[in-house]
Amino acid sequence: MINIFKSKLAFASLILPLMVFGNEIKLQEEKELEVVNFNSIKKVLQEDGLSQQAINKKKEVEKLKVEKAKISAQRNLYPQEEDMWGFLTEYFLVKNAQLLNWDYQKPEYGIDQSFKELLEKLGFYQKKLKILVLNTPSIHRGILPGAHKEDIYLISLPFMRALDLSKLEISLLLLEDFFRSEEGMVRSRIKTKSFDEITGSSIKGKIDQNFLKEMMGKYDSSLKTGYSFQQQFEITKKMDSYLKAHPDLWNTYFRLLRKLNDFTKGNNLYKNYINLYPSPEMQIKWLTPEKKVL
Amino acid sequence: MMKWIIPFLLSSTLLAQNKATDEKVVGLFYFLPILGHVHQSPEKTSASMTTIQCSHPVKVIESSNVIINEAWAYVEVADYRGFIRKEFLSEKRPDCFQGRYPNFFDGLNLDLSELYYWGRLYDQYIQVETRVR
Repeated sequence: MINIFKSKLAFASLILPLMVFGNEIKLQEEKELEVVNFNSIKKVLQEDGLSQQAINKKKEVEKLKVEKAKISAQRNLYPQEEDMWGFLTEYFLVKNAQLLNWDYQKPEYGIDQSFKELLEKLGFYQKKLKILVLNTPSIHRGILPGAHKEDIYLISLPFMRALDLSKLEISLLLLEDFFRSEEGMVRSRIKTKSFDEITGSSIKGKIDQNFLKEMMGKYDSSLKTGYSFQQQFEITKKMDSYLKAHPDLWNTYFRLLRKLNDFTKGNNLYKNYINLYPSPEMQIKWLTPEKKVL
Repeated sequence: MMKWIIPFLLSSTLLAQNKATDEKVVGLFYFLPILGHVHQSPEKTSASMTTIQCSHPVKVIESSNVIINEAWAYVEVADYRGFIRKEFLSEKRPDCFQGRYPNFFDGLNLDLSELYYWGRLYDQYIQVETRVR
């Protein structure tokens, strides 16, 4: 009795691994092809005109195999560039949630409607973007790259309150950032060499933590270091050319710059604003029409 | 005593039936953002009952007992009943970030508080979309 049991066990130990490891996970279509031995019924198939169908089926299976291989290869990749931008920005916002303090109860400010109307008035259609209102005075405003150019605009609630900004004034500040994004100033400030190398490449072992650290540092500094005079000049001139066709908007923008100039000079908490966005005083000069001497 | 208990039991059974017939499952939908919350009340900042991931199936319920703003859906997710913004739901299974890059997403080892904040982020965004010309 014991001998019979032993021989059964030995047989099972031989057969089981073959059953388990011999079978790869196969597509349903592959299994179907295996079940039907087309060679033995070739004549019948030819008569019925089904051999062509069998060839098509084989081709289909080959295609599916390629697709399957592609999908499983992608599972081990770093995100492609556009996906990576959106992901890293949100990762930064999540990692700094307490510091940026964006998770709090807020009323509907109506900025979305106001900014939408402004963009449409200036002819910018089919644009998607997100605004995040921060409850911190340490970051005044900023813009971060989003996936597929759906950028994320940051604006501080204490900053808006301190300046007593209207919806239109907030929208005009956002418009400056919109132009910065259009000019490629946003991504270029954050992009690193390793960003280009890593996006879309294969993950070797674990995720490169140094890459994430480096990128988080770049995101942080992008909100703390400002734009150059040259960049500010380009943006101010762009604002000028777009708003000139709408005198009411141009005047509001000009008044806003004066307001910013007076405010940043007299308020210690917001003095570094001039370093980030140099400078309202210069912007006013660039916008003021030259006096012609007769 | 019994003559009081029996009518009470009968009436409570009838009430329960009524409550059940007032409800209707509108359909099965899928959650769209990377992460999100089932809210206790139909407000962006209301407390979270549970956190769900992109592509999580969500049963949308219509109930005469729950009257809400049309931007919100009354939903059932596992054992929870709460509220999700309709714009976060799709009839088709979405192509999720974590589905496209599972090894990258899993490799980040996000902790509970990060998962929570990631879900809150989508509630706090003010979305702007200009019309098609």
